Amino acid sequence: MATEVKLPRLGQGMESGTIVKWLKGEGEPVKKREPLYELDTDKVTQEVEAEADGVLLKIVVDSGEVEVGRTIAFIGSEGEDVPEAGGNGAAPAAEKTETAETKDADEDETEGAAAPEMEDERERGRQAAAATAEAEPVAAAPAREDGRVKASPLARRLAREKGIDLGQLRGSGPEGRIVAEDVETYTPEPEAAPAAAVARGEVEEIALTSTRKTIARRLTEAWQAPVFQLTVSADMTRALDLRERLVARLAEGETKPTVSDLLTKVCAAALVRHPAVNAHFTGEGIRRFPYAHVGIAVAAPNGLVVPVIRDADRSTIAEIAAARAEVVGRARDGKLQRADLEDGTFTISNLGMFGVEQFIAVLNPPQAAILAVGATEPKPVVLDGSVEVRPMTVLTLTCDHRAIDGADGAEFLRTVRELLEEPALAL
Amino acid sequence: MPELTYREAVRDALSRAMREDEDVFIMGEDIAEMGGSMGVTQGMLDEFGPERVRNTPISEIAIVGTGIGAAMQGMRPVVEIMYQDFLTLSMEQLVNQAAKHRTMSGGQLKVPLTIRTQGGAGWSPGAQHAQQVEAWFVHVPGLKVAYPSTPEDVRGLLWTAIYDDNPVVFFEHRLLYPLKAEVPDELEPIPFGKARVMREGSDVTVVAIGRMVPESLQAAKQAEEEGISVEVIDPRTLLPLDEETILTSVRKTNRCVTAHEAVTRGGFGAELTAVIQHGAFDYLDAPIERVGAKFAPLAFAPALEQWAVPHAADVLAAIKRTVAKG
Repeated sequence: MATEVKLPRLGQGMESGTIVKWLKGEGEPVKKREPLYELDTDKVTQEVEAEADGVLLKIVVDSGEVEVGRTIAFIGSEGEDVPEAGGNGAAPAAEKTETAETKDADEDETEGAAAPEMEDERERGRQAAAATAEAEPVAAAPAREDGRVKASPLARRLAREKGIDLGQLRGSGPEGRIVAEDVETYTPEPEAAPAAAVARGEVEEIALTSTRKTIARRLTEAWQAPVFQLTVSADMTRALDLRERLVARLAEGETKPTVSDLLTKVCAAALVRHPAVNAHFTGEGIRRFPYAHVGIAVAAPNGLVVPVIRDADRSTIAEIAAARAEVVGRARDGKLQRADLEDGTFTISNLGMFGVEQFIAVLNPPQAAILAVGATEPKPVVLDGSVEVRPMTVLTLTCDHRAIDGADGAEFLRTVRELLEEPALAL
Repeated sequence: MPELTYREAVRDALSRAMREDEDVFIMGEDIAEMGGSMGVTQGMLDEFGPERVRNTPISEIAIVGTGIGAAMQGMRPVVEIMYQDFLTLSMEQLVNQAAKHRTMSGGQLKVPLTIRTQGGAGWSPGAQHAQQVEAWFVHVPGLKVAYPSTPEDVRGLLWTAIYDDNPVVFFEHRLLYPLKAEVPDELEPIPFGKARVMREGSDVTVVAIGRMVPESLQAAKQAEEEGISVEVIDPRTLLPLDEETILTSVRKTNRCVTAHEAVTRGGFGAELTAVIQHGAFDYLDAPIERVGAKFAPLAFAPALEQWAVPHAADVLAAIKRTVAKG
């Protein structure tokens, strides 16, 4: 009598396992405790050993998921008949018909009378047929060939109706075909960050600080504004020269002025001359200021802050430098007061020290404009028909079009450029 | 309700028609004293006499030709072709004469002829006595084709065939003759072109004919134990075909298996598959599976014969393929 090989329960809670492959073929001799097949459970893949000596007569389940306790093979002596696994097959149906046939036989004296005699042989044929029927392969092949997605017509229709891209789905049908159920149960997943796949160290989750939240909120707000940008290049020869002379005359304890300080002064002077740019857009109206409180964007440890240099239009470069040094110092120490950040009428963002040539700054609402300043770099320029190398800076003004028109912005920018190229005019 | 075998139900329809209508008579090889090779007409000679229960020479072309002549003259003959394999001998009369006269005469002639025949494997009749050829006749305009699978249906459809003004090729299955079931006291004629839903289900539709109807019901029962809900439909007449009932079912279940004992290739399942893919294309969730006999002349050897023709297990395997994963 052949021994049934049943799928074992290898651990608590195991309901089924997936047969990966058989390590022995049908007809091969098998020894007890010899590895017989590879089984994949939800925990591990392992080799399962034979529980009996003999010949592997028949593999009932070649591969795939099987419930615990189901017969997956038979081991017995060579040439032994294999009992039918699980007892399901065609036999019962056919027998029923034939029983009825025999009962009815006396009506059947003629041609069919000899039929029941060969019933045993016919039964063998039916069983062989049943075995063929069961064994018909449902091959698992790659889901896609030539980039075409395999999907049933129904799945295609459902996907079309739901607006789902079939390319996003994994098919669970034969040969990876996408069937209706796959479409019905599909929920689009946010695309996994590629970094996650090659995780080298932990991904850092950073909770938003209140500063970061404010930045996010205000910049998102600012992003809604209809803006335009204007760009000019300024020859910084004289501005740099002026700065050097100021540095040379510096008294003990005084702050060394920077190009930024010069820019603050120049912008402040230009702002009071062009009140259209020195403005807030409040939603209900446009508020223009007779003074220039210039905000300067500072990269503080907790994020971007914009402390304000008040009355920059009426301050000397030295005063501006001192105020700037003080407020930036506090910004870096995280000691800014609320008042330090309020009442700005305009903002300068300078990334020149990082070598950035030019960029576009995002508006700092409710201010109507912001100036992005690039690095001062020696560039070839044409002066009086000949090429000369000059220290040039690219300035890009972002304007809120709800408050400022193109010409207003352009005039302001022209003044800034003139004042940088001839700083004396800012006096 | 009385219980009748399929065989008795055929006899009942013939006898009732002959009792009520002088124009109905039967004719065939050995149908009189012997009662037919399958015993269907046993006892009818005693009741109706040799004028109306007529033995014929062994010539199928003559049997059908005589039937056509009698039908055109106003009779309602029912001729028997002992095995459907022998229909081949009567093809000229059936295809070129019976099927054509009504249209060729502009409706002046009618051929209300019923050609009863039987066959099928399962008892080793050999390659020349076991074929299933119903599909051949579905291809011929002018004919009608019926193939009932239960006593009630065979009785009601035979009545309709006798009273149809067109030639009807009426298939019975050898293994269905002993099948017993309750039938109504009164004979209810069953209209052609009306399928019967034998069993309701929601996952797969099996469209089966002849012997494969009970086999499919058996398969459906086994499938149910595995959690697959199967609907089984018997079209009962292949020509005309009740497409609507089949399509409604497939639109509901999204999967379909066709099943007949005839060889799969070029079988009626191919026609069904074409109708279904066209009428329910956007509802199909799996390829339509066809179940039929292997493509070979049937062997006499009992084991080989049973191996070649389909059984419930083949239908069950096909059902599983339509719901298969991965």
